[in-house]
Amino acid sequence: MSNVILSTNKLCKTFSNGGMQQHVLKNLDIEIYEGDFTVIMGSSGAGKSTLLYALSGMDKPTLGSVRFFDEEIAKQSNDMLAVFRRKNCGFVFQQMFLLDNMSILDNILASGLLVSKDRKSITARAKDLLTQVGLTEVIWRKFPSQLSGGEVQRAAIVRALINQPKVVFADEPTGSLNSAAGKAVLDVLTEANNNGQSMIMVTHDLKSARRGNRILYMRDGVIHGVCDLGKYVSGDKERHDKLQAFLAEMGW
Amino acid sequence: MLKWGGRVKKLFMLAFANIRKTKGHTVSLFIMFFIAALLLNAGLLITFNFGSYFDNIVKDLNTSDIYYVMPDHYYNDEVEDYLDHNDNIIEMQKVDPMWVNAEVVFNDNMWKRVFLLNDADKAKTRTMTKWKFVGEHLPVEDMSIYLPYIFQLSGGYELNDKFEMILHDSKLEFTIKGFTEDVFFSSPETGFMGVYLPYETYEKVAVQLGEQHQAALVFANLNTMNKDIEKDIRDMLKLESTPTTTDITSTFFSLDRPLVEMARTMMAVIVSIMIVAFAAIIVVVCLIVVRFRIVNSIEEDMTKIGSLKAIGYTSRQIILSIVLQFTLIALFGSIIGIAMSYSTTPMLSDIFAQQSGLKWVQGFDGTISGIALVIILLIVGLVAFISSRRIKKLSPIVALRGGIVTHSFRKNHMPLNTAKGSLPFVLAVKSIIQNKKQSIMIAIIMIAVSFAQTFAVGMFYNTTVDTTTFLETPGIELSNAVAVFKPEADRETIMEELKIMEEVRKVQYIDEVFVNVDGNEISVYVMEDYSNKETDTVYEGRYPIHDNEIVLAGHLAEIIGKKVGDNVIVSMGETKEEFIVTGLSQGAYMSGMNSSVTYEGIMKLTPGFQQSTLNIYLDKGRDAGVFVEKLKHLYGESFLLTLDMDQNMEQGAGMYISIVSKVGITILVVTIAVVILVLYFVINSSVVRKKRELGIQKAVGFTTFQLMNQLSLGFLPPVIVGVCIGSVIGVTQTNALMSIAQRGMGIMKSNFIITPMAITLFGAGIIILAYVCSMLITYRVRKISAYALVTE
Repeated sequence: MSNVILSTNKLCKTFSNGGMQQHVLKNLDIEIYEGDFTVIMGSSGAGKSTLLYALSGMDKPTLGSVRFFDEEIAKQSNDMLAVFRRKNCGFVFQQMFLLDNMSILDNILASGLLVSKDRKSITARAKDLLTQVGLTEVIWRKFPSQLSGGEVQRAAIVRALINQPKVVFADEPTGSLNSAAGKAVLDVLTEANNNGQSMIMVTHDLKSARRGNRILYMRDGVIHGVCDLGKYVSGDKERHDKLQAFLAEMGW
Repeated sequence: MLKWGGRVKKLFMLAFANIRKTKGHTVSLFIMFFIAALLLNAGLLITFNFGSYFDNIVKDLNTSDIYYVMPDHYYNDEVEDYLDHNDNIIEMQKVDPMWVNAEVVFNDNMWKRVFLLNDADKAKTRTMTKWKFVGEHLPVEDMSIYLPYIFQLSGGYELNDKFEMILHDSKLEFTIKGFTEDVFFSSPETGFMGVYLPYETYEKVAVQLGEQHQAALVFANLNTMNKDIEKDIRDMLKLESTPTTTDITSTFFSLDRPLVEMARTMMAVIVSIMIVAFAAIIVVVCLIVVRFRIVNSIEEDMTKIGSLKAIGYTSRQIILSIVLQFTLIALFGSIIGIAMSYSTTPMLSDIFAQQSGLKWVQGFDGTISGIALVIILLIVGLVAFISSRRIKKLSPIVALRGGIVTHSFRKNHMPLNTAKGSLPFVLAVKSIIQNKKQSIMIAIIMIAVSFAQTFAVGMFYNTTVDTTTFLETPGIELSNAVAVFKPEADRETIMEELKIMEEVRKVQYIDEVFVNVDGNEISVYVMEDYSNKETDTVYEGRYPIHDNEIVLAGHLAEIIGKKVGDNVIVSMGETKEEFIVTGLSQGAYMSGMNSSVTYEGIMKLTPGFQQSTLNIYLDKGRDAGVFVEKLKHLYGESFLLTLDMDQNMEQGAGMYISIVSKVGITILVVTIAVVILVLYFVINSSVVRKKRELGIQKAVGFTTFQLMNQLSLGFLPPVIVGVCIGSVIGVTQTNALMSIAQRGMGIMKSNFIITPMAITLFGAGIIILAYVCSMLITYRVRKISAYALVTE
């Protein structure tokens, strides 16, 4: 059994909207394991992204706790959370969110140099990762606006991986990409996970979900079901059927 | 044609929506326009109205062109006949005041002045050069007096206070019953102070003082303003050599109105030039900020502009709404600034009154305020229009997509893999390079405000810290004491005794007499050896060495069209001699109408000339007042007059120091306010514009402090560059500017001490202030959350 990397205890998140209280996460108790490719699925408004950002320290829960290994992060200050994120987390967003005014390489180094002062080695690692995700040297010096969506998202994955985080959080990473670009991005994430990188990904795309080994299905702010699929193997029909059956059971 | 109630109403709706959306920016722009309009209106009011206010008083009081005053016994039949039948005199009126050299308490100090004691009741019937009360006056009682308004303003006196005049052998005690204003005798700048005594008091004082204090005062309006009459009377009275610094109450003196006007309004003119110039700087800063705001708001509101265009608003309507938005802010800021400027005029009046002696009352002046308002609104409208023109080129679809055409990064400056320095520093430098226009704008603003600051620091330093140069402004020799020998005194013995006194460092003669140079009656300093002079006022050439050499005041040289190397004819009575101009001097004394010759030089004009005015220099730390008392005690009988020059200079320079230091402090305060407002404006805009970028940085782990530091460091280089350039311009150009401003006063080459250390310290202060302000303003970065990035 793998180590628990993240766990929640009675995690609640409530938004106030025009005086109305909207309970998005309701007393959630979950565990995320080290080395897993955890996929969070669910219908729109189920609380997937809210859970992802609560787990990553991007947002603070209303009640309950979030533990990263033995460290309670739910009550940390914003600056402590920033330091926590830079050291332990990597992020891949649907909108990519690279800095428009920096080259691809600089985008990655701006993250890397936050943690490491060794400019040489961090640059070497960045270049290595960029090469691994299929981005050639010509692209490193370009600005995000000069690249395709898929290329930018792969660069965003490199940025997420540059500090060798304990866990990478991906929020609909293929949501704004065409299928070919989406596949390439998923391949990169899968490859990283195969190399031992813990992943948590929110998606409502079946193809993306297939990459995970553990599927959490959310509905109305609670975990409605969990499905263990085992490691992703391309073309594994049995695994695919199991996931479809699970999702059907969940009413997806 | 735009119709009110239709399209125009929509424009106002759009403009007000923008104003509401950017409240912080609106408020800071409002404050800047408020300051600019306040200064501009105040400056214009002084420029146009202070002088005309003086002219109105001249007219109201039917002030004569010139006056001649002399001891009553000088006014003999010959003089009377000459004046009565002089063709150049249109009309004249003779009055008979008394005049005394007296010491009075003025603002807790002893003040020595020549006072003209007028019969108030008789003076009321004057038809020329009348006088009037300022404020209320009280019923008279025994020994009542009406004093010039300056005594209330700066002298520390109020109605019903006691007022003592200490004469050399007696004392006069009065009760103040009113304060007065007239053109010739109300300012400490113009020779005599005129006081008015009710008839009974006047009669009593006349008996007490005796006939030797009776004077003849003649007011005259002339066909042609010249010094001919003065010269003729001097000739008649055989007053070839008139030591004006000695006992003026035993001599002949005249003063014309233009000179009085210049002396009484000069400081106001200089201050108004400074205020208008500073207001212009602030207006320019406002315009730069308006342009910056519009360019930024077009970027920030690109999609909104796209939506407006998509639903049918024309580019012209959107542009006009922006023009309207900024014109409205300028309008409200300016109206309140202009209104508030009227509340500053009494304060300015009080400041100027220290020199002018005038109680300037400024009511609302629609024309000037209208001009100030229209100037501001027109240029704001124009700048807003020009800055928002690019909206025309935006197609709705491009705007709706967030203006993808607006970002075109071409080069990745300072790549992080090779750049040296900490991450926040390198990111800050990248930001500066990428926001060149913004950096240039900040630098330009900083150049302007740093220049103003250097100028203000310079003025403040020279008026409060090291006043040496400032005290040299009048151009007179700065000795510690002056003593004037009586004709019968044993000069040589006393001179030798003075030289060996323990506290005396140096004793020398510097006399002053009147001569005529190219038709101008001017004063001339006489000295044996100018190398002993301690106050060097020659700014071009050198002091005279030989008996045929003369130094002319630069102002005088300009009037008569002479330069170094030229010859001038100097005459005294019937004697005329040619002198060669060896140098040009400066100094406000006699409004720059003076000159210098050697003792041998004056002997050529008046062979019987005897030097009589001793300038005495004491060792450092010695009290001139104590020394003067000692002098009186030891040689009282030998001296006609003894003066504590330290005290005199302190009193004389005090009012200038007060005015200039107040102007300096005002400029400093406004400069700091402008720096804070501009930084608030720019940084706030920048944070809004970079919200996405900052959110991303927070998401990947940048702390709020790191981002604050990164942003603040990004603003520092243009601030530093601007401060450095502005300070250098200030250091090198302040004296040039002051020379222009003071030219009319006779200061041709200003020598204000501009201390690089003080300027550096203040420059560093501005930079630190800018950094601290940046950190405080960027603290709002804490509100930008990484989470908001994904949820918005």
